[in-house]
Amino acid sequence: MIRVDNLHKRFGNLEVLKGVSLEVKKGEVLVIIGPSGSGKSTILRCINLLEEPTKGDIYIEGEKINDKKADINMIRQKVGMVFQHFNLFPNMTAIGNITLAPIKVKKMDKKTAEDIAIRLLKKVGLEDKKDAYPVKLSGGQKQRLAIARALAMQPDVMLFDEPTSALDPEMVKEVLNVMKELANEGMTMVVVTHEMGFAKEVADRVIFVDDGVIVEEGSPEELFSNPKSPRTKEFFSKIL
Amino acid sequence: MNLDFSSMPQYTQLFINGLIMTIELTIISVAIGAVLGLIVALMKMSSVKILSFIGSAYVEIIRGTPLLVQILIIYNGLPQFGIKFPGFVVGIIALSMNSAGYVAEIIRSGIQAVDPGQMEASRSLGMSHSMAMRYVIIPQAIKNILPALGNEFVVMLKESSIVSVIGFADLTRQAEIVSSVTYRAFEPLMIIAVIYFVMTLVFSRLLSIFERRLRTGDTR
Repeated sequence: MIRVDNLHKRFGNLEVLKGVSLEVKKGEVLVIIGPSGSGKSTILRCINLLEEPTKGDIYIEGEKINDKKADINMIRQKVGMVFQHFNLFPNMTAIGNITLAPIKVKKMDKKTAEDIAIRLLKKVGLEDKKDAYPVKLSGGQKQRLAIARALAMQPDVMLFDEPTSALDPEMVKEVLNVMKELANEGMTMVVVTHEMGFAKEVADRVIFVDDGVIVEEGSPEELFSNPKSPRTKEFFSKIL
Repeated sequence: MNLDFSSMPQYTQLFINGLIMTIELTIISVAIGAVLGLIVALMKMSSVKILSFIGSAYVEIIRGTPLLVQILIIYNGLPQFGIKFPGFVVGIIALSMNSAGYVAEIIRSGIQAVDPGQMEASRSLGMSHSMAMRYVIIPQAIKNILPALGNEFVVMLKESSIVSVIGFADLTRQAEIVSSVTYRAFEPLMIIAVIYFVMTLVFSRLLSIFERRLRTGDTR
C-alpha cells in the first residue's frame, strides 16, 4: 500500500531523515514512536508530500508520488491526514469543515456531502455539534471533527501526526477510541504518537525512530517486552 | 490677534467643492490602489523569482521615497519625455501608485498571518494551492485585511492634501485660493483642518465599529 525507500530529508544543514525505508500493508496499523526531533513526524509529512523528500522514493499503491508527473492532489485525496493542532477551518461550522473538500474537490453535490458529513459526525460522536464553530469545541471534540473531515474524502490511508499531543489528558481517550474503532474497521493507518498504551493495544507493527533512522521494528509485543537495541531500551526506560 | 471668520461663509461652495474633490480622489485612489496592491502582493508572494523581485522592488521604492517627490516626478519630471497628464489624472496616478505599495504589504501580511496549518490541512484534503487560497486562506485573510485597508483610506484622506501643490483643486487647494482672495491665511486653514479632523474622526469610528463586528464574528 505504502512503500518508502531510502528516504532522506534535509532542512538546510540539518539532516532530519537519513535513509528510512518502510512498508505499510493494506489494513495494517503502523505506529511510529521515538523521541522529539527524531524525524518521525517528517516521515509522515513526506508520505503526503507536505515535505518534499531530498532523496529516496515514496510509492502509494505502486505509484511513485515524489515524481514531477504525479498528480499530487489526486494522491492526497486517498491519504487522509490528522494534525497535532487540528488545523480546523475556524470560519466554518463543523459540517462546513467536513463538506468543503468533498464539494470543491470531488464536486459532490451539497446534499450528498452533508449526508456523508452527518454520518461521520455520528461516527465520531459529534452529531449534536454539526452547526458549531471550532472555537466552541473542546480539544478532544476538535480532533474528532478533524478525523471526520479527513474521512469525508474516503481515503485509503489515514496518517495521524501526534493526534493527542495537544490535548488535555482527560480528552486523549475519546480520540484514541475513535482511532481504535477505525483500526477495527480495517482502515490502513500510520500513527505517530507518544501513547504507548495505544501502540500496544492497536498497532500491528511498531517502528522506533531515532536520529533520522529506524532503530528497531517489530510487533508491539516484541518491541515493548523485549527490545533488542540499547537505544530502544533506554527510550522505554525513560518513558514507561 | 485678529481672528475674523466673517468673510468665510461666502466661500462655502469652494470648500464644499474641495471636500467633494478630496473624497473623490481618495476613494478612486484607494480603490485603484487596492486592485494594484493585490497584484503587487501576489507578485511578491509568487514563487516565480522575477515576479517576486518586481513586487518587492515596487513596495520598497514606493515606501522608501516621499509621496511629494513621487507626485513631482509624474507632474514635472515626466513631461520632459513628452509624457503629460492633466493635474487631476496626475493626482490619481500618484496617489493610487503610492497606495498600492502600502496596500500590497497589508494584503501580504494579512495572508501570511493565516496559520500555515490551514494551508497544510487544505492541501492534505486534496485541494490545489489556488483552491486552498480561494476557499480557506483568503476568507480568513480578509478579516485581517479589511480593517487595515480602512485605515489606509483614513491615512489617504489626509495625505491627499499634498496634491494641492500641483494645483489639484482639493480641499487644501481651496483654502489657499480663499486665503489669496481674502488675504487671511489662518482662518481658511483652520476651517479645512476642522473638516479633515471631523472626516477622519468619523471614518475611524465607523471603522472601529466595523472591526468589532468582524471580531465578534470570530467567536460565534
